[in-house]
Amino acid sequence: MKRLGRILIWVTVALLGAGALAKIALHRGESLNAIWFVIAAVCCYLVAYRLYSAFLAAKLLVLDDTRATPSERRDDGRDFVPTSKWVLFGHHFAAIAGPGPLVGPTLAAQFGYLPGTLWLIAGAAFAGCVQDFIILFCSIRRDGKSVGQMAREEVSKRGGFIAQLAVLAIMVILLGVVALVVVNALKSSPWATFTLAMTIPIALLVGVYLRFVRPGRVLEASLMGVGLILFVVFAGQWVAESPSWARVFTLGGVPLAFAIIVYAFAASALPVWLLLAPRDYLSAFIKAGAIFALAAGILFVRPHVLMPPLTRFIDGSGPVFAGKIFPFCFITIACGAISGFHSLISSGTTPKMILRESHARFIGYGAMLLESFVGVMAMVAACAMTPGVYFAINSPPSIVGATPDSAAATISGWGFPLTAQAMAGLAHAVGEQTLWNRAGGAPSLAVGMAQIFSNTIGGERLLSIWYHFAIMFEALFILTVLDAGTRVGRFMVQELGGRVWKPFGRTGWMPGILLSSAIIVGMWGYFLYQGVVDPLGGINSLWPLFGISNQLLAAVALVVATTILLKMGRTRWIWVTLLPMAWLVIITMTASYQKIFDANPRIGFLAYANALVAQIAAGKIPAAKLMDTQRLIFNQRLDAAVTAVLALMVIVLIVEALVQWYAILSSRRAPVLHESPYVQTQWAAGYSGVAQGDD
Amino acid sequence: MREAAKGIRRFVRRFWRGVREWCGDAAYERYLRSSARQNEEGRRLSAQDFYVQQVNRRYSRPNRCC
Repeated sequence: MKRLGRILIWVTVALLGAGALAKIALHRGESLNAIWFVIAAVCCYLVAYRLYSAFLAAKLLVLDDTRATPSERRDDGRDFVPTSKWVLFGHHFAAIAGPGPLVGPTLAAQFGYLPGTLWLIAGAAFAGCVQDFIILFCSIRRDGKSVGQMAREEVSKRGGFIAQLAVLAIMVILLGVVALVVVNALKSSPWATFTLAMTIPIALLVGVYLRFVRPGRVLEASLMGVGLILFVVFAGQWVAESPSWARVFTLGGVPLAFAIIVYAFAASALPVWLLLAPRDYLSAFIKAGAIFALAAGILFVRPHVLMPPLTRFIDGSGPVFAGKIFPFCFITIACGAISGFHSLISSGTTPKMILRESHARFIGYGAMLLESFVGVMAMVAACAMTPGVYFAINSPPSIVGATPDSAAATISGWGFPLTAQAMAGLAHAVGEQTLWNRAGGAPSLAVGMAQIFSNTIGGERLLSIWYHFAIMFEALFILTVLDAGTRVGRFMVQELGGRVWKPFGRTGWMPGILLSSAIIVGMWGYFLYQGVVDPLGGINSLWPLFGISNQLLAAVALVVATTILLKMGRTRWIWVTLLPMAWLVIITMTASYQKIFDANPRIGFLAYANALVAQIAAGKIPAAKLMDTQRLIFNQRLDAAVTAVLALMVIVLIVEALVQWYAILSSRRAPVLHESPYVQTQWAAGYSGVAQGDD
Repeated sequence: MREAAKGIRRFVRRFWRGVREWCGDAAYERYLRSSARQNEEGRRLSAQDFYVQQVNRRYSRPNRCC
């Protein structure tokens, strides 16, 4: 009877989810209440978690709670720490949730709300969560080894080296792109620039407090820092209103780019406790608070989604970025559905802290579902604003026109009514000089979030405060990704350089620190600079490049996972990783091919370069712009080469893996697993970690 | 009623402890417990040294995602 009741509850949840999805997909008319998105997403996640992840845990991975995890066998109170599953869920989620699931869906909203929302939900359930869960499981069974080490041991040495190079290349592109998002958010905005600049001395203050005054008292120091940050968000309006101070903090794209490059170099080379760690603590608290507030705001306000389910831009002519719905919707959404970068976290800190193997389901699969939900909320926030405003914020002037009137006329001509006065009024209401041409996703998401927040608390009066709170929240944790990523990239450069010249590999050697920091910052800084000076807005070229590289890394992780599952003899269920891997290879290779060779200059890097060469040859470029144009030609060719090299690396890795798979399946080679030996757990069945151990 | 209040108190205590564990506030206490279990009293780090070592280790590998 109890069982029947449970079945009935799950059938109801499934029907409710299916009904909400049908409502979203088939809705035609004026607008749609956002609550349908929440119901559809939550019901689908519940069903996926209850059924699919349970199947993965029981049949595919056969999780074994009698087996001691690395945190039990190697407990050292530092890296290997047995941690309660709720705390570790929070750790893992804070690590995987970055700007990607916020920015990606916001940009993909140009296709309409439907394709992005469907991919966010389905992609997470069948690809992203599967990747995170299985890589976490594989790493637990190998004492917390990284995905690169697992590739080396389980696929081949060459495979491991390729994976390591791919991670470095992807990190460089990622850092360049997220830095561009920050630049576009702060450009010509004294309020936002002041707020973000002030977070640096606040972080230094928190760092000194944590190092010398009350060592390690993260909670009190962070709360103090968060209080100060909220104050500077408020104080930013006084700076914006003061003509002399506003002038100091009104910066263009290029000076902002250089300021961010200098900051990241300093954060990478300075002691971690001084700037990087305290900023990360502050960012973690604000990130958790803002995501919770956005969810509560959407539930409270239940805004109406004004964007149509599909727009005319599915044909590839989108103003935000060019390219057809296939493959670019999937490439653009990236992290909210599946992110290759998560495999680094799932094979990093989390496996060393997990208490029991069965917790991997909740932490690996569950945290990715939550990240997907963040993506759905970002989609709602972006689509809840007037579509004309969305396109005005995210379109470069080379597409819509350089003056407000011409841009408003172009956007209205697409069927999204807009007036220059409405945009000026909105910019004034949020405390900005202008909202035109602010591509990158952050400003439009901030407008969407601010409208939801101000409808909850404060009304129109607080719109500008909420807008700048949202911008600060996005920029703060993008800077955290930047400085933490630069430091990790520095170690990677030192490790690779150390193979050529030993002293360079010593992480404590100051000349090595400075040189490796300069190399990594120089590499991503170049991508940032080319994005800032790109007349098509930068995002058009760089976000797809980021998406391709991220999804290629996910393909690498799924290749490793498939190889391990084959070696474990799980051939019957191999489609679980093989299908998402095949899908990722198809979309990334199609996107790579189109980004390199497409004849449309807005899509193909080489076509754009050739078009510029033709313009120079025809004498259409004035002498003063010749240098800039030649640099633009070089950048397009560089982007084409980077895309080709990344795709080639993954193809080589797949070929290496195919050779392995053939040898295993044809019994030519006995599969050798590199798992740690089985050790029985000494913990009692009810033991739930140190956090609850002293109840 | 008293049982409910007790339940709420227990939940709040657990939640607070979870937040401290999550943000790293309780990391040193955890380290002390672990080193006591492993009989490492002689080589025990001070709170300051532990904090510096801990952040150096944490930020030497990918720990923040895109």
